[in-house]
Amino acid sequence: MSAPTLKIDDLKLSFKTWSGTAQVLHGISLHIKKGERVALVGESGSGKSVTARIVLGMLQQLKSARIAGSVEFEGVNLETLKPASRHALRGTRMSMIFQDPTSSLNPVYPIFAQFKEVLERAQPGITNEKAREKAISALADVAINEPDRVLDSYAFQLSGGMNQRVMIAMALANNPALLLADEPGTALDVTVQAQTLKLMSELVKKHHTSVLFISHNLGVVREFADRVYVIYKGNIVEQGPTERLFDDPKHPYTRALLSAVPRITGGGIPDLDDDPGRFTAPLVAHEGYSERELLA
Amino acid sequence: MSTLLSVNNVSKQFEVNGRTVQAIDAVSFAVEKGECLAIVGESGSGKSTIANIILGIYAATSGSLTFNGSELPAKRSKEYRRAIQLVQQNPLSSLNPRRSIGASLRLALDVHDIGEKAGRAKRTGELLEDVGLPADFRRRSPSSLSGGQRQRVAIARALACQSELVVLDEPTSALDVLVQARVLKLLKELKDSRGLTYVFITHDLSVVRNIADRVAVFERGKLVELGQTSAIFTNPQNPYTRRLIGAVPVVSREEAALRDRLMEQESGNA
Repeated sequence: MSAPTLKIDDLKLSFKTWSGTAQVLHGISLHIKKGERVALVGESGSGKSVTARIVLGMLQQLKSARIAGSVEFEGVNLETLKPASRHALRGTRMSMIFQDPTSSLNPVYPIFAQFKEVLERAQPGITNEKAREKAISALADVAINEPDRVLDSYAFQLSGGMNQRVMIAMALANNPALLLADEPGTALDVTVQAQTLKLMSELVKKHHTSVLFISHNLGVVREFADRVYVIYKGNIVEQGPTERLFDDPKHPYTRALLSAVPRITGGGIPDLDDDPGRFTAPLVAHEGYSERELLA
Repeated sequence: MSTLLSVNNVSKQFEVNGRTVQAIDAVSFAVEKGECLAIVGESGSGKSTIANIILGIYAATSGSLTFNGSELPAKRSKEYRRAIQLVQQNPLSSLNPRRSIGASLRLALDVHDIGEKAGRAKRTGELLEDVGLPADFRRRSPSSLSGGQRQRVAIARALACQSELVVLDEPTSALDVLVQARVLKLLKELKDSRGLTYVFITHDLSVVRNIADRVAVFERGKLVELGQTSAIFTNPQNPYTRRLIGAVPVVSREEAALRDRLMEQESGNA
């Protein structure tokens, strides 16, 4: 069996501040196999986004960050790579989609210039014609039916949903092995969000892309992911297959989180049975879905 | 029940780069005393525009509003500004960062001259306790509070001047789900204990289902459906309403079943 696309083992992160160190990740372990869509779900400040940033190698240069544990990408420990080879991975073998598409696109360049930049990461010296051809086919994949108009537009001339689709097309243009999606679609309307998630879902299925899907929205996670890790204050507290985890949450924190979500079937605003003391209970893995069993 | 606010055939146009945009198109509805009316719709549907018209920030291009039976003037007197209050989405930007929580609340009491001057400092502490915060939060600054605590302060300020109608503009969409549940619970309790009336503006239909008495659905400036919450969610009449409910990401099987049923109707009609 080939190595998992991403394997994080006992990852710890702390930041040095003027008043001491703040521990952000307390040793989390997770992995994503080829073609798997895995969600990391938690509240703000739980450590979801910093995990993605470590995978991309964006925190390592930070002087105040202390990182321990290992991150393996396709069997290679990222720590052992030279900065140049790490840099070469970004935008080619792994790519990222951010929450707000309009602010992650550069407002002073038309979409095509940015698209070409992405394609150049994988194919240096690609010609304008070739890049345009590739960009048009990538945009067709995300159901944009006037690719020429979109490529010649600036981000602010397009709607949020359109920008998000452009971002998805760019992120997948070089056919990465791993896609990191940090709250994609949170800034969009529900109907647009549903469409973009569906598109993204179909595309990653088609290309067997592995996805780390980071979100606080449990509904979106249920719709998108095959497997779920629930993170609370820098610890993974529950992991399992999506359906089982939502039907039968076992950890007190997951239960509280799920019961707090208002239902479209009604039932009122729930009384929270929240005793944060119990949220720090140890990791619960659903049967057959612990790291040890899955990686055996 | 009697009508607190009625919106009569209100339209609002904006001039943008020489073009006319019809933001609100001949909308009429009433808000009853003591109810929570939700206004839902996607961005650009006009839900925030109608909120701003109710608050008197925008003047309607045509049509009128009545409050407690008398017509609301385009330029609001202080009395109306006191009676109709707003809670915004992001309390970090709606509370003055340089002013302590107590001073922010005190300002509302001073502006509207509520209660004896000597008792106002004490009153700010009581207001904080009413929203479930300790009274000594008065001395703290907004930046030292969590998002949920700040939103409670914003609610306390809206209630400080004995308002009758509170316009809640996405009050919980910036909050985590556990915090959201607590703030929603607080809003509901305050409404029930004080007989407040809410206009609740949001795009989050799951929240609406559990807090609103009635729902008004806006699409591109038009009111396309208005009805009791349970009726809207079990048997929506308008295709746009069905599409909106059908797009909500859900967490349980019962919800998924409801959604599938609505989407089936939708494709059956199409």
